[in-house]
Amino acid sequence: MNTTSIFLQTIIGGIGIGSLYALIALGYSMTFRSMGLVNFAQGSIYMVGTYFGIIWYRGMVMGLHVPYAAAFFIGLLCNVLLGLLLERIFRPLAKLDLMLMLLATIGLGFILDNLFTIIFGAEGFAVDSPLSNTPWKIYGIRVLPQMALLIGVSAVLMVGLQLFLSKTKLGMAMRASAVDYEIARTMGIATNRMNALALSIGCMMSAAAGILAAPIVYVAPSMGAAVGLKGFAAAILGGLGSIPGAIAGGLVFGVLEALSSGYVSSQWTKAIAFIVMVVVLMVKPSGIVGEITIEKV
Amino acid sequence: MFLEIDQLTMKFGGLVAVNNVSISIKKGAIHGLIGPNGSGKTTIFNVLSGYYKPTGGKVSFEGRTISGLPAHQITAVGFARTFQNMRLFKTMTVLENLLVAMGHHAKVGLLQEILNPVAVHQEEKKFVEKAMELLDLLEVADSANALATSLPYGNQRRVEMARALATDPKVILLDEPAAGLNEVETEDLRKTLMKIRNLGVTIFLVEHDMKLVMEVCEEISVLDYGKKIAEGTGAVISKDPVVIEAYLGQEEDR
Amino acid sequence: MKNKSSILKWILIGVVVCLVLAFPAFAKNRYQVHIVNNIGIWILLSLGLNIAQGYGGQFNLALGALWGVGAYTAALLQTRLGVPFWINLPLGIIAGATMAAFVGLPSFKVRSHYLAIVTIGLGEVINLFLVNQDELTGGALGINRIKPPSLFGFPIDTDERFYYLILIMVILGYLIGRQIVGHRIGRAFRALRDDFQAARAMGVNTGFYQILAFAISGAYAGAAGVLFAHWNSYISPDIFEFKSALIVLTMVMIGGMGSLPGSVVGTVLLLVLNEYLRVFEEWQLVGYGVAIIVVVLFVPGGVVELVRRFGNFRQRWSAGLTKEKSNMEEQQNVP
Repeated sequence: MNTTSIFLQTIIGGIGIGSLYALIALGYSMTFRSMGLVNFAQGSIYMVGTYFGIIWYRGMVMGLHVPYAAAFFIGLLCNVLLGLLLERIFRPLAKLDLMLMLLATIGLGFILDNLFTIIFGAEGFAVDSPLSNTPWKIYGIRVLPQMALLIGVSAVLMVGLQLFLSKTKLGMAMRASAVDYEIARTMGIATNRMNALALSIGCMMSAAAGILAAPIVYVAPSMGAAVGLKGFAAAILGGLGSIPGAIAGGLVFGVLEALSSGYVSSQWTKAIAFIVMVVVLMVKPSGIVGEITIEKV
Repeated sequence: MFLEIDQLTMKFGGLVAVNNVSISIKKGAIHGLIGPNGSGKTTIFNVLSGYYKPTGGKVSFEGRTISGLPAHQITAVGFARTFQNMRLFKTMTVLENLLVAMGHHAKVGLLQEILNPVAVHQEEKKFVEKAMELLDLLEVADSANALATSLPYGNQRRVEMARALATDPKVILLDEPAAGLNEVETEDLRKTLMKIRNLGVTIFLVEHDMKLVMEVCEEISVLDYGKKIAEGTGAVISKDPVVIEAYLGQEEDR
Repeated sequence: MKNKSSILKWILIGVVVCLVLAFPAFAKNRYQVHIVNNIGIWILLSLGLNIAQGYGGQFNLALGALWGVGAYTAALLQTRLGVPFWINLPLGIIAGATMAAFVGLPSFKVRSHYLAIVTIGLGEVINLFLVNQDELTGGALGINRIKPPSLFGFPIDTDERFYYLILIMVILGYLIGRQIVGHRIGRAFRALRDDFQAARAMGVNTGFYQILAFAISGAYAGAAGVLFAHWNSYISPDIFEFKSALIVLTMVMIGGMGSLPGSVVGTVLLLVLNEYLRVFEEWQLVGYGVAIIVVVLFVPGGVVELVRRFGNFRQRWSAGLTKEKSNMEEQQNVP
């Protein structure tokens, strides 16, 4: 294997992990756009969504072995419902005191992480891929089928979301609701429903990310923390609140991480995520794609 | 040469909010700034207060350039302001709101704050006295210990003015002080403005209430779309066809 | 009547003071004193966080790491160079305050929720450093055999003796905290929290006060760290993980953000409850999470607000009773 194919392989791996981050970043951006809320618990929601799907696939529920695709949709559905529930709980806080909202999501993260640790134990497990474990060879580059699945399905979801937001009536109503709450209200757009929709979509994306990535990464209740953080850094990199930004940020972040994984120990990747975030926030807070908001005096 | 706004330009991205405006404000005067909505009045205030750095031109005060200085330093130089949408400190009492404004005059150093409670106590006593004087002047002294935002609207406006005065300013920028006031309250405001002037403070006033502006302002500058289109006494500008056009034109659009 | 109730008040205060001072004597066993000592250290952390966040509005979720900075400063100086507690204390405070000021630098350009994440990140970076710099910090194994303090040759090496040291520090911390928040600094903090732009216009040097808020919380955390190191005689990086910052946050929220007595109450409540409900750590944390959400949704001002509401309710209730009574009397008088 020559250096080009190793390089390309790393890039593919980076795109794979980047798709994961992008989906998480989408969750952050959607919630921020619609409710003005930074959802500290996004990583935990990713973890929860993964479990919701994988437990069926792995036969952990009454011994039933559900096919991967079905488990995937079950996980997504569960997280959609979770999103609806969360909107209901956070409704009185939306667009109010920022600090309180953030604190509530911190509390939520606590609850989810530890509840699932109690239920499933801290140990965690590995998950078999529904596809074969032998890598495909495309032009001399080795790609795990699961990785291809991850990239493929993520792409479909992300494109689907973009289309939804720009081409459908519901999607455009959601964007209007996010841009100006009050005006949307007066126009009769049910902002609560829009928030619920946004939150559900975000949660759903996280579940998708987790279930797709499960055979590649290790599944454990603690899996949300690092990914949640990196997803957030990616969202900020692309511009918090921007949908294309979240996608771009996620992919860039994933590729950067893959490229540097040879040089930097995995512990420090977390620190690097933070450093990236701080630098972006201080130099160009709107991110590489995002919109600028002028603070009104 | 008291307060000079010199060819001030303020751009936000592609939008030109203030376009080459020059205004000269005399010491001890009450100077008005009027114009249709969006003509750049509040932006000029924000530059004066130090929130924005001008894209072009400058502001000088008593011969010294102040544009570009950070906001709290501009306050130290002698500027105070009130806000269009009234920004009192929500969790603090009326008195505390004023004490904050007096903080930058404090002689007690930071370390002393913690280690020398006696000195702190004495200085605070003096501050409280001065604050009560101002509250008295603005006739809201009885509400000194009430939560600032619990007062009726008109009184809150007075508190905001008292707070601005508490910074011991030479110039006070009033951003639509008559907004939301009825006729009786506006008349009270007029009297208050006179009291402020009698303290020796120069007043720079943005306002929509024409009657008030004509009554109190010695000199008025008129803005439209970021440009100064007229300047002079009330009598002069009320007859200026350019001014009438700007306001009438706006009315037709709306 | 008035005299009587104020004499009563003073007697009550006197009794409480005596109880507090004599606590180790009538405590059931050493373990109880140990718990109280632990509570004291967490109270210092809560006070620090509350001043920065409750009053100043500055999220400082790096507090756990700052606590670690204080602890490691003391531990390293003591075990490597034999520096005693009394010198470690001011050094730890300075180290904590300085590090906190660095953590606070982004606060100029970054607002609330971003700031929270950034402080978490910086805290994690500090922790990573503590774990990975084996040579310097002993790595994941930590540092042990930290010598306890001694006062003119009199060793403070039992929980009973530590009790008084910690008690003094908590009282000092509280009094200093009150002095800070009750005057110019506290007002400046609240102003910049209430309305940042208006504060600037009123002459408050918001940048300076923001950093000061961080530094103060760092100072408290540093002090708590030095105290902890000498008391526990063993420290390791996992004690100062992000989780600890969240626990302090929970304590402050439950007691009442923006209220110093609230911090004390919240800390005591949480830790005492911990002891009585000897459940798995995970359930504890779930409980904390639920508590935070309940507080945020229903009683954002914490226990302190609850007490106030209860006081108001009682007032109105007894006023209502009096009104009913006079209404009834009126009715009876009507023929």
